Amino acid sequence: MDTLLIEKHVKYIQSLGENTDDLMYHMTAHLRLNAIYWGLTALCIMGRPDALVKEDVIEFVMSCWDDDEGAFGAHPGHDAHILPTLSAIQILTIYDALDRADTKRIVTWVAARQNPTGSFSGDQWGETDTRFAYIAVQALELLGRLDAIDKDKAVAHINRCKNFDGGFGATEGAESHAGQIFVCTAALAILDRLEDIDQPTLAWWLAERQLPNGGLNGRPEKLEDVCYSFWVLSALSILHKLKWIDSEALVKFILSAQDPDGGGVADRPGDMVDVFHTCFGICGLSLLGYPGVHEINPIYCLPADVTRKKGLHMDYEVLGKDET
Amino acid sequence: MSHGVKRTREAADVLAARREKERSKLQAYLELTDDVVARKRAAVFTQECFDLTTKLLGLNPELSSVWNYRRLILLNALFPNLSPEGTFSLLQSELNFTTGALKQYPKTYWIWNHRRWCLAKVPPGPEGAPVEKSWKRQVWARELFIVERMLDADARNFHAWNYRRYVLASDPGLRSPEDELAYTKKKIEASFSNFSAWHQRSKVYSALWEEGVSEDEVRQVKDAEFELVQQALYTDPGDQSAWLYHRWLIGNGDDTAVLKREIANIEELLAIEPDSKWCLESLVHYKRLLAARSQPDEAAQLSDLKKECNTMLSKLQTIDPKRKARYQELVL
Ligand SMILES: [Zn+2]
Repeated sequence: MDTLLIEKHVKYIQSLGENTDDLMYHMTAHLRLNAIYWGLTALCIMGRPDALVKEDVIEFVMSCWDDDEGAFGAHPGHDAHILPTLSAIQILTIYDALDRADTKRIVTWVAARQNPTGSFSGDQWGETDTRFAYIAVQALELLGRLDAIDKDKAVAHINRCKNFDGGFGATEGAESHAGQIFVCTAALAILDRLEDIDQPTLAWWLAERQLPNGGLNGRPEKLEDVCYSFWVLSALSILHKLKWIDSEALVKFILSAQDPDGGGVADRPGDMVDVFHTCFGICGLSLLGYPGVHEINPIYCLPADVTRKKGLHMDYEVLGKDET
Repeated sequence: MSHGVKRTREAADVLAARREKERSKLQAYLELTDDVVARKRAAVFTQECFDLTTKLLGLNPELSSVWNYRRLILLNALFPNLSPEGTFSLLQSELNFTTGALKQYPKTYWIWNHRRWCLAKVPPGPEGAPVEKSWKRQVWARELFIVERMLDADARNFHAWNYRRYVLASDPGLRSPEDELAYTKKKIEASFSNFSAWHQRSKVYSALWEEGVSEDEVRQVKDAEFELVQQALYTDPGDQSAWLYHRWLIGNGDDTAVLKREIANIEELLAIEPDSKWCLESLVHYKRLLAARSQPDEAAQLSDLKKECNTMLSKLQTIDPKRKARYQELVL
């Protein structure tokens, strides 16, 4: 497998909504809106944004609206949470259909998730995580209302989650983890505070995620996984240090995790594929300058043409593209 | 999101047979979810609804809305009729319910969240009882026991480490910093590559030193820590966990005596392991720290340090080609 099997992956993503007689399909309802965002983003990067029926998708997104709360749940009938709320906003942004949602209420709801310490909760029940800070910051920026939160407090909280190795954890005191590093780095990029990062140390730590087989892990002495390709790569891209890893070896690793028959990408070669790893594997290839795929903006994990049109942050590195 | 599940190709007839077998299971699952969602929407809070959430969450603990509904039932229907003793006992059975779920799904955020919510609801217990007998102490001690069993099963589970830090912060009387240092040491000695334990150890010391400890004391502690790291480095010089901790101990290298001693120690290890990437990488970093701290009258030393770093960086480009571009950038 030395090429990206675009046709297979497009078919795989299109087929995801057709498995309604499969138990697994229903057991993952709590990720439905996220899954649509992952699928749509992967399709855009493969140059096939029209492979899903736009009106059907928008209608489904709107059916996940939780009118009691004023934000989105992951599935019709599910409670609002900040995770699916961002997916909904991202999908509507890609389709240029934000006018379909009650964005005023969403802004109020998202801003209300900020705690007095500056951290963010996922919903009214209060779990905090730096992922939610990133989600809130991105959601509000997409809605043009970053002014609705206390930005300095948000930055201060992210900085308190920073560790001596340059990385970030989920909460104060937590170990550095590539996923949390991605969200903290991207949030600081949106908040124009990248200078708060110890960049040489963090970029070094990120480069040390690459293992002999070319894949990337998410923490020291752990196994490789395709989804880390994106978390590590996007942070390196925002820091303009993509060249600090062996891109050829990583491209090979991602391609080897494809399912050559049914399409889709898995966490590791030979494993079951899913739309999450399919999206992040393909987005990783995009940052590595893989030929024939469109550009992803790693700060938002949205197609670059979408973020360009909206005048959002575009300062990141893509291999094989002249740096500006 | 699936992790570590081997791909199998099902022939069309096998798939059809599996779906046929699953059909009644699927039907029952969908009926149950529809029923629970409808009751929740109608704001029905009864014991019967509570039992349905138990059944549904047993099938799928990822349904955060159902956990939310369960808490609403507890708050609106079950707690109000209970004495503090009754509330405590109900919360204990809630905790047991999530313990069972965590055994099967140790990485599901919602289960951990529900546990934290339950703990915040535990009543203070009989008045006048000594701390050791209070209900709070009882539950936190049990939490610590459970989360440490989970770390025995998977020493790197970051959910469990985060949860453990939260337990210790919630009842500071449970473990002294000395106990905590002993715990992390036990974990480290069981596996030097357990970076989660090294990380926790760095946090315990940082907190202790923030409280105001003399420089001498810090130096003494660090000397003992350097010895512990040394053991790990000699056991496996390719394991990055201990090297990261070593870097934390050195910090910005202001203590040049320690910096020079450690450089000499690593050079000794390098003599045994001449192709050790981590020896070279660390020596470059530490020698650059030393160079940045050299005095104006040490120009000769500075130029030597630069040369040594550049030699090591070109060797690193050969032995660690994946990160070649970084080493090239660092050449002075
Ligand atoms: Zn993964």
